[in-house]
Amino acid sequence: MNPVLRRLAAVPPAYYVFALLLLVLWIARPNMLNPNVLGIFVRQVVPLGILVLGQLLVMRVRSIDLSGGGVILLINYIITSRTFPEASGLMFILMALAIGGAVGLLNGYMVAKRRVSAVIVTLAVSIILVGLVQFLSSGKPPGDVPKYMNEIFDIKYGPLPLPVLFWLGCTALMWLALQRSVYGRYVEAVGENAEAAAFSGVPVERTVVAAHVLAGLIAAVAALVQTGSIAVGSVRVGLDLPILAVAATILGGVVFGRGEGGVWGPFFGVLSFALLFVVMTVFGIDDPGKLIAQGVIILMAAILYGWRSKRG
Amino acid sequence: MIAFLRSGFSTRRSRNGLWGVPLVIVVLLVAVLTLATEQFATRENLFNLVAQAMPLLIAAIGQLFVIIVGGLDLSVGSVISFSTAILSLDAPAVVLIPAVFVLAGLVGLINGLVITRLNVHPIIATLAMQYILLGITRILRPVSGGDIPQIIISAVQGSFLGLPMPVFWGVIAIGLAAKLLYGTRFGLHLFGIGGGVAAGMEDAARNFGIRVDRNIVLAYVACSLFAALAGVFLAGRIVSGDPNVGLLFELDAITAAAIGGTQLSGGVGSLHGTVLGAVILALLANGMNMANISPFVQTAIKGGLLLAIVGLQSRKKMGL
Repeated sequence: MNPVLRRLAAVPPAYYVFALLLLVLWIARPNMLNPNVLGIFVRQVVPLGILVLGQLLVMRVRSIDLSGGGVILLINYIITSRTFPEASGLMFILMALAIGGAVGLLNGYMVAKRRVSAVIVTLAVSIILVGLVQFLSSGKPPGDVPKYMNEIFDIKYGPLPLPVLFWLGCTALMWLALQRSVYGRYVEAVGENAEAAAFSGVPVERTVVAAHVLAGLIAAVAALVQTGSIAVGSVRVGLDLPILAVAATILGGVVFGRGEGGVWGPFFGVLSFALLFVVMTVFGIDDPGKLIAQGVIILMAAILYGWRSKRG
Repeated sequence: MIAFLRSGFSTRRSRNGLWGVPLVIVVLLVAVLTLATEQFATRENLFNLVAQAMPLLIAAIGQLFVIIVGGLDLSVGSVISFSTAILSLDAPAVVLIPAVFVLAGLVGLINGLVITRLNVHPIIATLAMQYILLGITRILRPVSGGDIPQIIISAVQGSFLGLPMPVFWGVIAIGLAAKLLYGTRFGLHLFGIGGGVAAGMEDAARNFGIRVDRNIVLAYVACSLFAALAGVFLAGRIVSGDPNVGLLFELDAITAAAIGGTQLSGGVGSLHGTVLGAVILALLANGMNMANISPFVQTAIKGGLLLAIVGLQSRKKMGL
């Protein structure tokens, strides 16, 4: 292949999709392209953006985590149902992290030690959590979100909402961790070739368990942000996030075991989804159309990678 | 006979998997339910049980084909919903019924081609298909409704020779799958391909002259066609098109196959085990309904069961 073309094909599709959607929006609704409007749309995808940080970590060690939806639902239920009326904000944060960490540990144990299919494990865990929440709430919305959570979520610095800044900070932290830390090297080695990594003394199983625990903790953080973004608790909140997170990650150039896209590729993958929702709203495309678009995007990104990896 | 039964409890030298364990579980469940409740062993409840179990049984048989080659089809639930939506459209039955199977076959063909030719992981490919198809289904039928052709309703709800119709659906589905899996070269090749994949030797089957890609594509087509059959059956039962009726069906189908001793890494599994797995799930649902357990808890219990079953099947490979 032509070297220029090869360089262009190596850029994660997220950047192209982002540019394309920006162009579409610029032509169709130029007045939407102001920082205040975009800030609000980007703020909506912050929970997704945070969840993606966990997803890209597990996908780089050739695993997957679809349990984020259940984790978000359970944490949202605990906060909004007033099961713990006395609990302070700090208590909620600790509870959320405990839940996320425990679910991540279970996932990691099953995937790395028991060698069970990660899709099956994390989907089953999600189903258990969703069933549990729906049973506890009898399928009805639990209650209101504490006011201070909404207030924190609404803070803005100029056109920049606080959640967006928080997301940027988390992404930069993950970028540093993967770039600089020994653990980041382990992740890369396990993703590249688990067997070779094991022979070179990399603790493969522990690396994968740790990736799942981190993904669980990150899902808990996403749950807190998601809860702050809504006024009333819900028994459906966050259920489609894990799958969107997988799509955004693939779009961002991170596929099972390979991480060319780094953390900023998936970051732009999430931004692409934010723009996609804007464009779809502008053109009046409703939910079925969104489902189809999500499916097509996942498929196209995966095909692109499949095609490239086949050609070496 | 004794030797055959004994093979169900051994993990060695058998591609059938541990189907003896589910057999024992079925016998125990039936015994417990018969003794513990008066309703269970009634003619009415048993007929109802067969009708309830049938869609899952058919879908699980389809899932078995792709699991044997080391794949997985997450689009089964969407194919089921899609089939009921197609059947609820305003057109004569002679058009709708063939259309369901042609379209489902096409879905399987696309799944298979994307996986084999475009080198996409089966889980990603079929997950994307699940979304696309769900979107199309919701365009066709946003909420449940519409009319199902009368011929399907009579074929599902009636009875024949004193037996309820669902029994015949089961006999046909199992017979068809038995012929395909155990009576054709196609079935033999599926086990060959999956055995190689499970052992980490993807090229093994190809080196023996098996057309690997073509057989894998056909396995996905078979899976979608069985899912469509389950959808047609369900449409006759609920007498309308429903965009959500197939939700999470693919996981129940995987659970049924896994309980029946089918190993998700490929190469090991059996039709009789899968049928037993579906029967176990149906018996559990029946028992939990009689005990008035909330459907939400039932969902959670099924999830836990899936987790426990796959947790017991150790495999070499780590990850997806």
